[in-house]
Amino acid sequence: MQAVSSGIGYGLKYQARCISDVKADTDHTSFLAGTLSLKEENEVHLIRLSSSGTELFCEGLFSHPNEIWDLVSCPFDQRIFSTVYSNGESYGAAIWQIPELYGELNSPQLERITSLETKSGKIKSILWWPTGRHDKLISINDESLCLWSLDVSKKTAQVQSQDSAGMLHKLSGGAWDPHDVNSVAATCESSLQFWDVRTMKKTLSIECSHVRSADYHPRKNNILVTAEHESGIRIWDLRKPKVPIQELPGHTHWTWIVKFNPEYDGIILSAGTDSTVNLWSASINHGELTTESQPESPARLVDPLLNTYSDYEDSIYGLTWSSREPWIFASLSYDGRVVVESVKPFISKK
Amino acid sequence: METPPLDDKARKMRDLLSSFYSPHPSMSPNSPNTISKHTSSDDINSSSFQPDHYMNLMAHEMNLEGLLHKHVEMVTQIKNLDTDLQMLVYENYNKFICATDSIKRMKSNILGMEGNMEQLLDKIMFVQSRSDNVNTSLTESREHIEKLNKTCNLLRKIQFIYDLPDRLSKCIKAEAYADAVRFYTGAMPIFKAYGDSSFHDCKQASDEAISIVEEKLQEKLLSDSETTQVRAEAAILLKQLNHPVDNLKAKLLEKLENLLIDIQLIPEAVKTASSCSHEVAFHEFVEAIHAFQVIFPDSETQLVKLAQDLLNKNFLIVEEYVKTRICVEDLLAVLRVVWNDVLKMDEVLQESSLSDHSLEAAKVSVKLYVNTAFSYLMQDLSDSLLNVLKRDGVEDHSLKAALDASTKTLLQGGRNFLQDVRKILDDDLEILNKLRELISDWVQEGFQDFFKQLQLRFQLFSGRNDLAHIQNHSLVEGSQGDKAFPGLVLVLAQLYAFIDQTVIPQINKELAASFSGGVGGYEHGLHFVSRETSRKFRSASESFLHMYIKMRTQRISLLLKKRFTTPNWVKHKEPREVHMFVDLFLQELKDMGNEVKEILPHGMQKHHRVDSNGSSNLSLSRSNSIPDEILSRSNTQKGRSQQLFETHLAKLFKQKVEIFTKVEYTQESVIMTMVKLCLKSLQEFVRLQTFNRSGYQQIQLDIQFLRTPLKEIVEDEATMDFLLDEVGK
Repeated sequence: MQAVSSGIGYGLKYQARCISDVKADTDHTSFLAGTLSLKEENEVHLIRLSSSGTELFCEGLFSHPNEIWDLVSCPFDQRIFSTVYSNGESYGAAIWQIPELYGELNSPQLERITSLETKSGKIKSILWWPTGRHDKLISINDESLCLWSLDVSKKTAQVQSQDSAGMLHKLSGGAWDPHDVNSVAATCESSLQFWDVRTMKKTLSIECSHVRSADYHPRKNNILVTAEHESGIRIWDLRKPKVPIQELPGHTHWTWIVKFNPEYDGIILSAGTDSTVNLWSASINHGELTTESQPESPARLVDPLLNTYSDYEDSIYGLTWSSREPWIFASLSYDGRVVVESVKPFISKK
Repeated sequence: METPPLDDKARKMRDLLSSFYSPHPSMSPNSPNTISKHTSSDDINSSSFQPDHYMNLMAHEMNLEGLLHKHVEMVTQIKNLDTDLQMLVYENYNKFICATDSIKRMKSNILGMEGNMEQLLDKIMFVQSRSDNVNTSLTESREHIEKLNKTCNLLRKIQFIYDLPDRLSKCIKAEAYADAVRFYTGAMPIFKAYGDSSFHDCKQASDEAISIVEEKLQEKLLSDSETTQVRAEAAILLKQLNHPVDNLKAKLLEKLENLLIDIQLIPEAVKTASSCSHEVAFHEFVEAIHAFQVIFPDSETQLVKLAQDLLNKNFLIVEEYVKTRICVEDLLAVLRVVWNDVLKMDEVLQESSLSDHSLEAAKVSVKLYVNTAFSYLMQDLSDSLLNVLKRDGVEDHSLKAALDASTKTLLQGGRNFLQDVRKILDDDLEILNKLRELISDWVQEGFQDFFKQLQLRFQLFSGRNDLAHIQNHSLVEGSQGDKAFPGLVLVLAQLYAFIDQTVIPQINKELAASFSGGVGGYEHGLHFVSRETSRKFRSASESFLHMYIKMRTQRISLLLKKRFTTPNWVKHKEPREVHMFVDLFLQELKDMGNEVKEILPHGMQKHHRVDSNGSSNLSLSRSNSIPDEILSRSNTQKGRSQQLFETHLAKLFKQKVEIFTKVEYTQESVIMTMVKLCLKSLQEFVRLQTFNRSGYQQIQLDIQFLRTPLKEIVEDEATMDFLLDEVGK
């Protein structure tokens, strides 16, 4: 145990990959985590940070029929979330509702609102409309991109439009632009691709290999961060997609996931298979399109790595900031350990 | 009163007089300027003196004795005043009498003067009229005489001109050219005025004579056999004759320039004994210049220019020569020859700052020498490095050889260069003495630049990494270059480490030993900053090493990816044999191992295994059937949850395995890092898939098979076991 480590731990019992911040819960800092166990009954944990901020406790424990590969909490209703699951042979996705709890914790069944059935391809991830109450969803499977229209009360979801990614591209995930709701970025093996939701057509493509994760800057237009296997972390300005505006070294092994802090400018969190979480500070000069002078500026010489959290036993696949308390993040390592940490000591330095 | 001298007395008198005549008694110097009110009435000397008041005051204030004393004082003062007054009156009267006497005398004198003056005037008038008369009577005869005189002069001149041709020819015969020229120039104005009319014949004749003279003079001037004195005189005479001397000068200069071609420096010849021919030619040239200088004293600038041209040309030749990679002795010999020439020329042409000029030029050429030495060093280095890329099937350019060659080049080259420079410094050539400090500055600067460039060059090289991949594919035959490239990166990493650890300290030591001079360097930041450079190289070396590891592991990663993403694991069949990716994987590792072993040094720790060439055992036949252990393991699938729990527990008690440690410059460390990275990737790929039982068994089989050969490659078995175990879960 390192002295710096101030993390609060929570065990999930099984291996797990995904954790999501419950954005719609404005009263508590809560996270949803789903397990990934081949043989056992999988579970979805609703974890809440105690108001004192020193303890994590389980608010709800629900059984889920299959391995959970992706889990996203609905941005407008804290009781609704989506999962992508696999039963070994095939992948599926569904929207779930947490039943009313009445104080009991004995694994009640989740209410399935609807399944998002697509004809072909392995579904990889679900994207919710970035902010506010809206009925649109996007599902990304390895071959195509679908826009869904969800009706919670009628418990139906319908495909509105879809577009195929093309033969050579296998999509793996994506992000919905919070500034321009008509634009969606999807990651695939050899590039980062952008769709216009209205026409469902590809608009832009950035060449970069093995992108694992992408995240939009929550405050600034056109800024995007990607995590790649080999090249670490890159920050892009979509107005000049040829070269990244900044590159960060990433992790010793694969960089798996990367997230912009929702509140503090330039604070980036990344997690990787080398069992560490890195906190970065990137200087993003928004609107300044002259990159020539940047490499010389002294700001670049400052080590962008603010801190490394290495108190993990296994690879980390799940990572999320809390939107309620933006200095808090939760990370989930493969061995099922949720760790909540505060980055306050590093931000206040700035 | 009688005792003071006359001066004093006179002054006193004047004072008295002035006080007497002055309108305001208060203004007199004796009386006080400011009189206070209460004293005004009792001051005797003031105008506002009131005797009654004064008396009252006295009577009131003083006793009898005082009053008596005052009285006596007063009486003496009054007596004094009386005598003064009397004296003044006498004096005045006396002066008045004197004045009247002198006025009377003046009056009588003036009366007799007027008559005398008038007489004087008359006499002068008379004298003037007489002298005018004499003058007019003599004018005529004077004019006549003047006219006669002029005619006589003219006649004499005409006579001279008529005689001129004869006289000139006489002079030519007597070779008294100086006289001839003098005569001719004397007659020149007349010829100019009347040459076309009255003295036509005469002029022609004398011109002819003079042209003969000119020819003779030219001959004299151009002939080398005459003494320089004679030639100089001839030149002066020709100049007096308005002969175009410049032509002659140009001719002579041409001659000199022709001489120049003879003495052109041939650096290659300097080595051989034929340098004496250069010496002779140069001697001639110096002589000629000297003569020329005597003949045309005003032509120094031209000569200087000529000499400088020669010098420039020589130094240009030297520079060209330097560029052809000469050894330092040759450079010194050539410089010595040039410097000797300069010294000789300096003797002749004192005012030409030839030595300064040549100093500048020598500076340039020595600097060029230093720079070319560095650039050749650089070229050698990159040649020996890039050989790796050019291995055309033949294995003689192995990585090891490249590394050895390049380190040797670098170290040897650096040392040789320093030795050469020391030779230059030790040489006692004057010109080099002056440059000594500069040279050591250059050397330091040169090293700094050299290392900077070296670094930049290969960083650029590695920066084009991706590009190079493509280029290599097109230029070099296919995968050859592709294969060699990571090797080159590894060589670079090791080379840089070598530079950091060995070369820089050594060079620094030698620099400190012999080039401690150099004053100005620090201010310009040109000095060889060993610490900074070595830091840079260290980081570059590390990044190269990481790049190497990355490039190598990328290939394996790609292999693994293909293996794990292509098949449908859910419908996998029972495993029959070890999948071929294991072989490929081991093959890659073997390649890597070979490369690394070639380049990097052994670690401090002793190898666990006896066989250092453990890779040879890797080609194990895989005919072996599946180890029993695996089968038994796979049977325990039912107790999977139990097992998971157990491993969790076990993990708790096991020490946390640090997978990603710092890479060191040893074979073991690098190989270990690479193996670890690959296994980690393998683990991640496995995790991304869902397997059925057969698939899982296949993986277990593969892993089990990997275990044995890996143990032989890898030093840190614990970590590897851990990673392999992780995969197995």
